[in-house]
This record gives sequence, C-alpha cells and structure tokens, in this order.
Amino acid sequence: MEYAIRTENLARTYGKTFKALDGVSLQIKKGEVVGYVGPNGAGKTTTIKILTGLIRPTSGHAYVNGLDVAAKPRDALRSIGALIEVPGVYDYLTPHEMLTYFGRVYGMRRDVIDRRIKETLELVRLPDWEHKKAGSFSTGMLRRLAIAKAILHKPDILILDEPVLGLDPKGIIEIRGLIRQFSSEGMTVFLSSHLLSEVAEVCDSVVFLDRGKVVSTDSVEGIGQRMDHRVVTVKFLRPLSGADVERVKSIGLVKNVDVKNGTARLHYDGKPESSVQILKLLVSLDLDVVSFASEGVGLEDYYVSVMSDEKGVN
Amino acid sequence: MATNAVSMRNSLSEAWLSLRFELLKHLKRRRLLILVALAVLLPLFPLISRPDTAVEFAGSSLNFISVLIVISAAMFAGDSVCGEFEKKTSLLLFPTPQNRSSIFAGKYLAALACTFLVVALWYIVLTLETGALYGWGEIPAEMWKSFMTAMLFSSAAVGVAFFVSSVLKRSISATILVFLVLMMIMPIAVMIMTLLESEPWFVVTYSSNLITTVLGTTSRLPMGPHGDIVQQFTPKLGTGIAVMATYAVACLAAGMAIAVRKED
Repeated sequence: MEYAIRTENLARTYGKTFKALDGVSLQIKKGEVVGYVGPNGAGKTTTIKILTGLIRPTSGHAYVNGLDVAAKPRDALRSIGALIEVPGVYDYLTPHEMLTYFGRVYGMRRDVIDRRIKETLELVRLPDWEHKKAGSFSTGMLRRLAIAKAILHKPDILILDEPVLGLDPKGIIEIRGLIRQFSSEGMTVFLSSHLLSEVAEVCDSVVFLDRGKVVSTDSVEGIGQRMDHRVVTVKFLRPLSGADVERVKSIGLVKNVDVKNGTARLHYDGKPESSVQILKLLVSLDLDVVSFASEGVGLEDYYVSVMSDEKGVN
Repeated sequence: MATNAVSMRNSLSEAWLSLRFELLKHLKRRRLLILVALAVLLPLFPLISRPDTAVEFAGSSLNFISVLIVISAAMFAGDSVCGEFEKKTSLLLFPTPQNRSSIFAGKYLAALACTFLVVALWYIVLTLETGALYGWGEIPAEMWKSFMTAMLFSSAAVGVAFFVSSVLKRSISATILVFLVLMMIMPIAVMIMTLLESEPWFVVTYSSNLITTVLGTTSRLPMGPHGDIVQQFTPKLGTGIAVMATYAVACLAAGMAIAVRKED
C-alpha cells in the first residue's frame, strides 16, 4: 500500500547527545486525518520540518506519496501544503502579491493563480483583504493567510503544525471548520498539537509522541472506548445524611463514594448494566434522585496516562 | 543527461522567479526607491564647488560612489538570507518545490541588479552633468572603465553582504557588520598598511580606488595635524580586477554553501 506519509526510523540528534527524534515510524493512509500529539519538545515540529524538507534527519527516511523527501525534495514537496509553527509573512506585500509568487512556484498558470487566490481567500474568509498589506492583519488573519498559501495549489496532503496556537476561541472554531472541510474534500491531513482535545475534534486517529518516540497510536473511536465511564454523578433532592451515605456505600456495586452537598460521585466498574442496577438500588433505598449521569475520564487524564507510559511502540 | 538538463532548466526558472519576487520586495519596501533617489541626487553635490576640468569633476563625484555601493549592498543583500530565518518567512518559502540554492541565487542576483541599477544611474547623471557643464567632447574617455570597475566592486560588496547575511542570525547585525567591514575595518587596514609602506593590494576597498584612478585622478589620504597628503600606492588595474572578482566569487560561493545548509 502506498501511504500519503510514511517515515522509517526517523531520528534527529542535536549536538552530540540530544535526541529530538528517536526512531519514529509513521504510516498515514491517503485521505486520513491524523493527529500528532505530544507535549512541548516531544519532537512534533522536528518531524514536520523533516517531512517538509526544512531539516534533514540524522538517520531514517521520510516519504511523501512514496517519494523520499531528502532525496527528491522538489517532487515530494509538490503534493504538500504546510503550515509550520507561526510563519512570518512579508508584511509589506498583499495576499495577492504573496500568493501569486507561490502560485508560480507551483507552476500554476496566471489565470489559475488568480482564480485560486480568490477561492482560497474566500475559503479562509479574507476575500476583502486580497489587495491590502499583510502588515495590518491580526494574528488570526495571518494564520488564515498562511493556510490559504498552504492550500493554494490544491495539495493532496496538508501538514498543520499547531494551527490554533495563539488564536482566540472564534479563530480556533474557524480553523477547526476548515480542517473538517479539507478532510471532506479527501485531503490527507496531518495535524500536530499538544492538545488532545483539539485533535480529537477533527481527527480519525492519533499518534502520541513523547521525548522523540511514538508511545501510542489509536483511533479517536478507540480512545473514546478506553475512556471508560467509571463514575456516575448522582444529584439528590436533599443533602445526604451520614446514615444515607452509609446506605449508599452498602450497595455492593459501588466501590467508593464522594459526597458534596446534594451530589454524590459513585465509583463503580464502568459496566452499563452495573450503572442501571445502581440506579434501581438507589431508588429502592427511598433516596430522592434528581439526576443520574455517567462521567467520562477527561481527555487530559487520558493524555497524561498515555504520556506517563514510557514503553514506546516503534 | 536529459534529467540534468531538465533539472538545470528548473533551477534557472526558480532562480528567475526568486529574483523577480525579490525585486518586488525591494520595490515594496521602498529601499530601491530610496537608493535610486540617492543615485540621482548625490552626483549633483560636486556642482557646489565646480572643479576646473571635466576629469576632476568626474573624479570628485566618483569619490563617493563606493559609499553608495556599500549602502546598496548592505540594504539589498544584508538581510537576504538571515532575514528569512529571523522573520520566520523561511517557514513559508522553503517547504515548496524549489531548490534552496535557486532561491538564494535569485536573492543574490536581485541584490546585484538593484546595486547595478543604482551605479548605472549615478554614471548616467554624472555623464549628463559633465557633458552639460564642460561640453560633450570633454567627457572623460576612461569613464566606461570606471563604470566597469564600479560594477565589479558592486559584485564584491554584494558578495560580502550575502556572505555576512548567511553567517549571522539577525538582519540588523548583518547590515551593520557589512557597513563596518567595508566602510571602517577595511579602510583602516588600508590606512595602517599604507603608513607601514606595505601595499594593501588584497583589500577590496583598496582595489575600489580604481573607480577614480582609471580616470587619471589620484586617491589620496589626508594624514597628520596639517592634513598632509599621504599617497604611496595606487592599485594596479589587473590586480585590482582580480581581487574584486575573487571577493565576489569567493564570498558568493561561501555564502551559498552556508545558506543552503542553514536551519532554524
């Protein structure tokens, strides 16, 4: 199978000892939207810089559509659109001038360039800014302009490195919407972020990276299943007395109880049938239940649990 | 063979694109406009104290052209490499299907073209002035030699600026260092060597004196409490040309080698 992105034992060492990447192997199928998650300094940007030909690996190979990026950068980079970190823009140029240059770099015809500039600026909601100098743009607008540059030539593969970094909530929602749109158009998207919640919103699967090594790979669906619902939050009409708490604890399926005012968090084995049984028993104990809701493990908790596992799966 | 030819054609096409983009940037940043204005206005200053002969007039005007060449080299090439990394525009420019060597070749050529334009304008204004003031027949016959020497010094100065830009990380540091090297360090070295009665033939700013000496005027150093004139050496045409050409080629090659390997 030909992968959109594939790396083989990718390693990059800075100085004599610091390993930014330590044998990373990735396989990303065409049309997939894959999140690349890890804490700051995990090696995400280093991987992306190797994939986009900005730096060379110390060892290993990076392939884009089967082409070795280090050996054939010109051909490999033709099918990639990339937004890396927070790129600078030529603030004395207008989006039209800047995008015209990049259109020519990709060998596009003049009429196609003009049409694509209009289309992409429309897509990133900057159509009225085509002939205004980029120096007057806000952070969000600059990021959207950089995305417009990345998709100008209709790449097969879009690589986004922390695309929502420094954006306000509105900007984050806009970028998320764009990624969903690119995905629906069949683009392969490789999205790096230090926020699992961010990639879980838009990705099919997630690769976890820590200290230069892949520590886990999972589908977003699989992550959801692993985040077992092991706690139910129960709201009662009145605050529970000490005796009421003891009665709740006496329910065999309940492992532990945290009580605060009229709310109790009941820890159990996470099975749906156990949840149903607990509710029935609470009602049978004449405790006035107002609400009963299962509580999932937070994405952050899941992230921490994955990152603390140092086994590595390369 | 055919693959090499295609690769070469692609590289040339990329360098041409890069050159045009750089020229657009120089225009938009108004640097080109400022330097062009200086090239047109500065040759008018010798009009204040008009010398007796056309050769002296041309010589006194051209005494200043090397300063403008250095300014031009620093402005156009000083940030050509480090500016992309410093301002992170490298993250837009480099992950594209073009060789870095082509991008940097375009940048160097654009800086060179702008400096050549500035120099050419200076000579055009000077020629018109000389003709108008002293008669068209009085225009020094060696003016074209001076012009070619100025072009060669421009190549060397742009090469030095390109090399400095490749080595340093910050644009402002690179621009200042180019000024310091070409307008202070090298001239001081020339002065010291001259005082020590040793010809500084290998210093490019010494070779740039050919711009005026080929006209038949002399390059002089006022020294001492009474402004005594020290004039011991005049650069030889062949040696001067060789030195300037060597600086241009060596600095470009070294700068290019560093620039293509440079990482964030």
